Amino acid sequence: MSLSQSDHIRKAVAVYEARPFATKIADWIRDRPEGGIAVMFVFVQLACIIAGLLFPESFRYLLQANITVTLKSIAPLGLMALGVGVLMIAGEYDLSVGAQYSFLSIVAASICNSLGGDIQADHPSALAPFIGLFAALGIGALIGCMNAAITLKFNIPSFITTLGAMLLWKGATLLYHGTTSQRFKPSEPFATIFGGELSVIHASIIWFAIFAVLFYFLLQHHRLGNHFYAVGGNRSAAIAIGINPNRTKTIAFALAGFMAAFSGVVAATRVGSIQPGGGLGMELQAIAACVIGGVALTGGRGSILGIVLGTALVFTIQDVLLLLRAPGFYFDMFVGVLIVIAVIMNTAVRRTKS
Amino acid sequence: MPEQLKQLGSTEHVPVDEPIIGVVPQGTPLLELRSVCKRYGSFAALDNVNFFIGKSEVVGLLGDNGAGKSTLVRMMSGINRPTSGGIFVDGKAATLNSRTESEAAGIETIYQDIALVDSMSITRNIFMGRELANRFGFMDHKRMEEEAIEILGGAVQISGIDNPRKEVGFLSGGQKQAVAIARAVYFKRNILLLDEPTSALSVRETEHLLGYVRDLKKEGTSSVLVTHNLYHAFMVCDRFVVMSHGTKVFEAAKQDTTIEEVTDHVIRT
Repeated sequence: MSLSQSDHIRKAVAVYEARPFATKIADWIRDRPEGGIAVMFVFVQLACIIAGLLFPESFRYLLQANITVTLKSIAPLGLMALGVGVLMIAGEYDLSVGAQYSFLSIVAASICNSLGGDIQADHPSALAPFIGLFAALGIGALIGCMNAAITLKFNIPSFITTLGAMLLWKGATLLYHGTTSQRFKPSEPFATIFGGELSVIHASIIWFAIFAVLFYFLLQHHRLGNHFYAVGGNRSAAIAIGINPNRTKTIAFALAGFMAAFSGVVAATRVGSIQPGGGLGMELQAIAACVIGGVALTGGRGSILGIVLGTALVFTIQDVLLLLRAPGFYFDMFVGVLIVIAVIMNTAVRRTKS
Repeated sequence: MPEQLKQLGSTEHVPVDEPIIGVVPQGTPLLELRSVCKRYGSFAALDNVNFFIGKSEVVGLLGDNGAGKSTLVRMMSGINRPTSGGIFVDGKAATLNSRTESEAAGIETIYQDIALVDSMSITRNIFMGRELANRFGFMDHKRMEEEAIEILGGAVQISGIDNPRKEVGFLSGGQKQAVAIARAVYFKRNILLLDEPTSALSVRETEHLLGYVRDLKKEGTSSVLVTHNLYHAFMVCDRFVVMSHGTKVFEAAKQDTTIEEVTDHVIRT
């Protein structure tokens, strides 16, 4: 391999690197799966900010209270969507994350409360909520592994496995706890770490940011991330090249369960009580956020930035509708339309490129 | 038929108790398959096949569609396990039950169905499963890209690829095949298996690849070329193995046969 043979590629790469900034942005928007949604996100934000400035009385988008509430509500769905998105990139689904969210937050809360971790206990245990959290995270990862084992061992679609798991854990929640709500007022420092506030910034959004960065490094810079893309993009190619698809997918399933548990506990800390049916439908919202953010349903394509933007866009729409005092069902309608538009955009971008 | 086949080999080395169709290995082969069978239920994809790859030689594996060529290649690359039979690497009994084992035996494969992931960049495809990473598993993107540029410029002069970050899905069929070839060539050690590598290549790229296979032989890397193009096979191969319906029907060294004879065996059997 002589150097001269590669020189034309090196030259081309150098030219590519030296593109003007505007071209780089344009190429990024066209080439990346999340490019389209990034444009839409910026556009929606600008429109909202301008509307908020023009009509400060009727459209209170820029009010601190509004920003605080929006930032608070993003994290649970976002945390769940990170796990779901990584699993989708690896080529599988988990429809049971919503049921796990409810079940595992109740498990965490009851462990915490039974160990005297309630803030109003006589001598609240500082450790108890953490034990509850780690138990929930462990069980979440374990449920993910179970979904993986059944899906991969019997070679059935994960859609079916996790549909079954969703019903199973939904029922298990009611069996274990009943239909009443579960109190969760954890002791310090847990309450501050997961539910504290710093002006408009809620602790949960910081956790979302931390996990988004962690997942970004996992996907883009760790070899495991490369394997997720490979297994999801072309399973037989991954096998042919020596990647163990079952191991890779099992890790992705475990991550989805882990994140569902974490998201459930974070949400419970903020609200202070858990409704047994609270997570119902969240699995579809999480998948919607991922799809809007450019994660391909067929696997092998997607990014963390896309998942974050997809989640943020869903909540922006919800926020705008609330501010306009639109009835709740408008939210579903808008998200429904948005999903279809996002997929059309991504497909169209891909088609024009090839 | 078997009598005729026996004559073509150098019969003096044939052990009396073990009739071997075709050529007998000279010295210890790099890889030898003895009486391997591969059954899917009652269907025998490979039936009692003996096959070997010697040092510094190019073997042409020929035969009609469904003859079992790809099954044999997949067995040697660790994807299909033999139902029965023995595998010997450097004369020692071995198994090739996974890609890891075949990699350890120094075998690299260019697959017929290319084995690339469309949604990943060229660089990521080349290093898929063999990422250059630190001990915590974090990848060294810079080094991988630099290597990828070297690889792309080296093995096969690939028409029109000038950006290793490009997604493989946007390449033409020939470019994809060239990437797959470049990857295998980069990682090969002892044996390169090429399963119909030229089907999507341009004439110039094909010439370049065949020339490369000859160069590899000089450097001591053996190849197995699976192809339908007997002309290509005759350009580079030292020995020909013709398969039909899961069995070996003909084997001869290049100097002992002619293109007409090989063609005859491919189409008649």
